[in-house]
Amino acid sequence: MENVFIILFGFTILYTAATSRLAAHVKVLIWQGILLFLICMFGMNEFTLINILFIAFETIVIKSIAIPAFLGGLIKRTKGYRDTEANIHHFYSLFISTIILFFGFLVSNINLPAMKMINPLYFGVSISVIIISLMLITIKHKVVSNVIDFITMENGIFLLSLSAAKEMPLIVNLGVLLDLFIAVFILGLLVKHINTEFNDLEISHLSDLRDCEYDN
Amino acid sequence: MTISLLLIFPIVLCIILFLLKKENLNNLFVIIYAIIHLLLSTYYMVFEDERFISKYIRIDNSNIIFLVILSIIFMAVSIYNKGYMNLENVPIKRKRHYTYMLIIFVLAMTGVIISNNLGLSWVLVEATTLASAYLIYFSKTKNSIEAAWKYVFICSIGIALAFVGVVLLTIATGDLSSLNYYELVLNAKTYNTFWLKLSFIFILFGFGTKMGLAPLHFWLPDAHSEAPSPASALLSAALLNSAYFVILNVYTIVYAGNCSDYAKEMMLIMGFLSLFVSAVFIYHINNYKRMLAYSSVENMGILIIGTALGGAGIIAAIIHLIGHSLIKASFFLTSGNILKIYETKKIKNVNGLMSVDKKTGWLWMLSYIGITAFPPSILFISEFLMIKSMLEQGHYILAGLFLLLLTIILFGLGRNVINMCYGEISEERNRELSNNRNRLKISMYVPQVILLIIAFLLGIYIPYNIEMLIKLSVVGL
Repeated sequence: MENVFIILFGFTILYTAATSRLAAHVKVLIWQGILLFLICMFGMNEFTLINILFIAFETIVIKSIAIPAFLGGLIKRTKGYRDTEANIHHFYSLFISTIILFFGFLVSNINLPAMKMINPLYFGVSISVIIISLMLITIKHKVVSNVIDFITMENGIFLLSLSAAKEMPLIVNLGVLLDLFIAVFILGLLVKHINTEFNDLEISHLSDLRDCEYDN
Repeated sequence: MTISLLLIFPIVLCIILFLLKKENLNNLFVIIYAIIHLLLSTYYMVFEDERFISKYIRIDNSNIIFLVILSIIFMAVSIYNKGYMNLENVPIKRKRHYTYMLIIFVLAMTGVIISNNLGLSWVLVEATTLASAYLIYFSKTKNSIEAAWKYVFICSIGIALAFVGVVLLTIATGDLSSLNYYELVLNAKTYNTFWLKLSFIFILFGFGTKMGLAPLHFWLPDAHSEAPSPASALLSAALLNSAYFVILNVYTIVYAGNCSDYAKEMMLIMGFLSLFVSAVFIYHINNYKRMLAYSSVENMGILIIGTALGGAGIIAAIIHLIGHSLIKASFFLTSGNILKIYETKKIKNVNGLMSVDKKTGWLWMLSYIGITAFPPSILFISEFLMIKSMLEQGHYILAGLFLLLLTIILFGLGRNVINMCYGEISEERNRELSNNRNRLKISMYVPQVILLIIAFLLGIYIPYNIEMLIKLSVVGL
């Protein structure tokens, strides 16, 4: 059953690649959090109350509620609703993302001895989500989009850690949670300051620092 | 007890500062923490029996030299910081926030160095990013926002990729469910080599971003040039070492797992790329703090090349790390003096430094001589050993390339340093600059003098104890 949710998780990134509305990106984050929760629930072998509570907190409370609410508020405050000037047109970014995801599925079907140590579908989809997120970070023009794509990448990494098919040490789990929460908080604060200082959130404003002068 | 002083005491200081909110406590607390840090690390260095290894923390032969270096740099920075921050015309609240973050930043770096668990190291490296982001953003200008944004964003992506590496390492380890460094090295021969190699790529790229290795160095010149000079010194002379230390630990695992050939190639490529990037950019640079930042990229490249060479090369890398930290901290702190006198970071607007302020001029010149490895700088020994190691291993072309790139960097740096130190300036400008110079306190010269004396003395004679510590820090590689 969890395989269906993993595939759906893979498809969510295609929606992010295809749309320019930032509110839609935030909604995708909410769905990704819910899907990750379901993947954990259906994929877990041992159920302990602490495990379930921790995973629910990590996926539902943080990934599906806290971060999207914070980002939603940020988008409203900064009034940057769309990221229309991406370096690559949405159609092409969707096309490239689809190919990467397709290769992710292919990787999960490779019959190598090393692949027997992991859950292949988790691995294939998570690696493609990480690569697509990195690609989206490079082509988007709004700083909020970059933060959203960064969180998508973190979600991909979360799925990858599930592919290890064994318990990650608690300290790492806590670290990931802390990292995600604080990184988003700090990035959010910086986004606010960027908006105040530059009046909008175009990434092109952040290119004044350079090594050489071009005096002409 | 002693270790809790190192880790809990700074948090107590921050809480007291938060409750009392007294301006005069800012510098005092930084200096108290620096003294305690230095005393404790010296204590652990001298009394071998007091060193210990626990599940999450260790102070042993592998990290004591890194800890001592951090302490010395922090001590120098804390002395300099007092004079520098008194000249900063910013609200008291911002100075207090700066103090919190400076203390937490050093605490996080200490944690990275003494951590005995890869997972914990990873969390603490991320903590260094979050703490130092404020230090970079301290002046709250457009440029500092840009630098802080790039720093947090690029380093967060790097750290996320490093986490992928950690996950892949746990896959490689098979049944072992631990990230303790000792256990990881002990069982390394049983690991799956495919996943081990793959994990090293991600970890090298991830922590390499934090270490400032090309092609992942883009945040470094911006961040180092925008941060206040004491913070730049810590970023360059201590933070990069912490990231290198994590890479070194993972490399030890890869080495023990018999996958080091592959890792060595990766490190050599990134090392030479760092040298190349520095050589290209230093030549055309317009900002002297960025110039120093590129010099850090170069030196991190040298460190990773030495590590890849192994044997004498890796010992040379540790010697290089010591020398680079001491001299680069001095260089960055002196750049703070220049910034306060000339009120510009542009190289072309700074000239006649020797006639305006002889002390700063000589510190600038001696730091240059030190960093470019002119004898008796300790870096001469490390670079000489590295070239010797390359020739012994038959890497003649690499040795030639290494020398060529270092010569270009030496020339690029030298051209700018000499242009800044000498040249004519009008009497009116001299008067104006002299007024600025008179504001500099003695505490803004002494730390650099001490750092340079240590670096040059070590270049003439390395005491037996320190030599042993250097060798023991890389034992097994």
